[in-house]
Amino acid sequence: MIKINPAELKLISQYIQDISGIYLDQSKSYLFETRLSSVAEAYGCKSYQELQTKAKMDSTKKIEKEIIDAITTNETLFFRDKGPFELLQFKILPEIIDARSSKTALKTNIKIWSAAASTGQELYSIAIVIKELLRDSPDYIFTLLGTDISDAAIAQASYGKYNRFEIERGLDKKYLQKYFTLFGDSWKIKDELRAMVNFRKINLMQPFNALGKFDIIFCRNVAIYFTLEDRKKLFNKMADILADDGYLVIGSTESLTGICPKFIPKRHLRSIFYQKK
Amino acid sequence: MKNLSILVVDDDPVIRRLLEQRLKNERFHVEVAEDGYAAEKILRHKYFDVVLTDLMMPGDIGGIEVLEIAKELNSKTEVLLITAHSSVHTAVEAMKKGAIDYLEKPINFDELFLRLDKISNVQSIMKNAQDLQFAMNTTESAASATIQDLEIQVSRQREMLDRLETVLRDGQATDEVKVEQALTIFDQM
Repeated sequence: MIKINPAELKLISQYIQDISGIYLDQSKSYLFETRLSSVAEAYGCKSYQELQTKAKMDSTKKIEKEIIDAITTNETLFFRDKGPFELLQFKILPEIIDARSSKTALKTNIKIWSAAASTGQELYSIAIVIKELLRDSPDYIFTLLGTDISDAAIAQASYGKYNRFEIERGLDKKYLQKYFTLFGDSWKIKDELRAMVNFRKINLMQPFNALGKFDIIFCRNVAIYFTLEDRKKLFNKMADILADDGYLVIGSTESLTGICPKFIPKRHLRSIFYQKK
Repeated sequence: MKNLSILVVDDDPVIRRLLEQRLKNERFHVEVAEDGYAAEKILRHKYFDVVLTDLMMPGDIGGIEVLEIAKELNSKTEVLLITAHSSVHTAVEAMKKGAIDYLEKPINFDELFLRLDKISNVQSIMKNAQDLQFAMNTTESAASATIQDLEIQVSRQREMLDRLETVLRDGQATDEVKVEQALTIFDQM
């Protein structure tokens, strides 16, 4: 494994923050080494500085993508932390449907964004909740978007294939039979669910108002990797694209206190969600 | 006793006996089945860490079927296939269906023990990961309950401070009225 020196730590840490927003503590040199050493070696680099120089010069951005894939944490599972999905099923969806229906004869379009979708489990879990709650009601059109900064994560999410370790974590047996088909040693999401969702690559540090307004935003366990300043920017941008009566769900150990005064927390059973003031 | 339980499935009594003996000598917990049917019966009643099965056996339940049954009953069970050189192609197909590896006949026991060691290592890493997962979930749910309570409390206090500010900055009211109103807001919290 290539060792990282203090000057490189500073350089690489800044570089990673610039390209991804992810802030890595410079005291944790092993984090850089275990995650980036193989990328450096694959490009024949003797040092991390050399890797950074090569990555910057690479107009195809291939090295930068690989660095992002290596540095991002894809820890996720189906129905990770049951709370937010119960919140969605029993509070948010009924309320939003109530607020949006009946106003016109047109179909109600409800837009949901999973802002750090990773390998897709969160968005597919949301799709399952919707499917279970509304069956195939023709009155509503759901637009489900999943975004992530990692190309590798987005590729897996789009493909919708999960190995048994990924499947066994969090997914109810009844949903497995209903929404997945056995695919060799893995499971693949069924077309009816796959057709409900879209995935694309997005860097949350960059402007994203072109995505339009959303009714529900899930932004869980991603801001924890950002600096306080970047968190403030992120949630302010989210406030701009959340509908006035929309819902924001963040990670269960995250807080918006001192980060974005535009949101107020509201409690439902054991969970919290945020709405604009 | 080693930490793996192994079910040996082979219709050849000599090989079956040999495998049983060698694995027992290595202090594995071993049971045997003389064909796929017997294997299915045993698997339905008991969990094994590893099923070591011959690929080609008489009857409708061959090695592939044993693999499918074992995996369906408990996906944690690892299946190792024993195959003649001529049926390596089938063994590769079986690996696509979830077999962890295959061994060619005649069985090289060093190779077999090496594979079992690897399975044992992977299983203990998996166990470790599950324990960590459990510890993380426990910590996370305790932390989130605390953080969410604080979040709500802070938000209420913020709201109270805003109301107090409005009351106290009211240019029309007398100081006495202001204090009165402020105290009412305070009592409502």
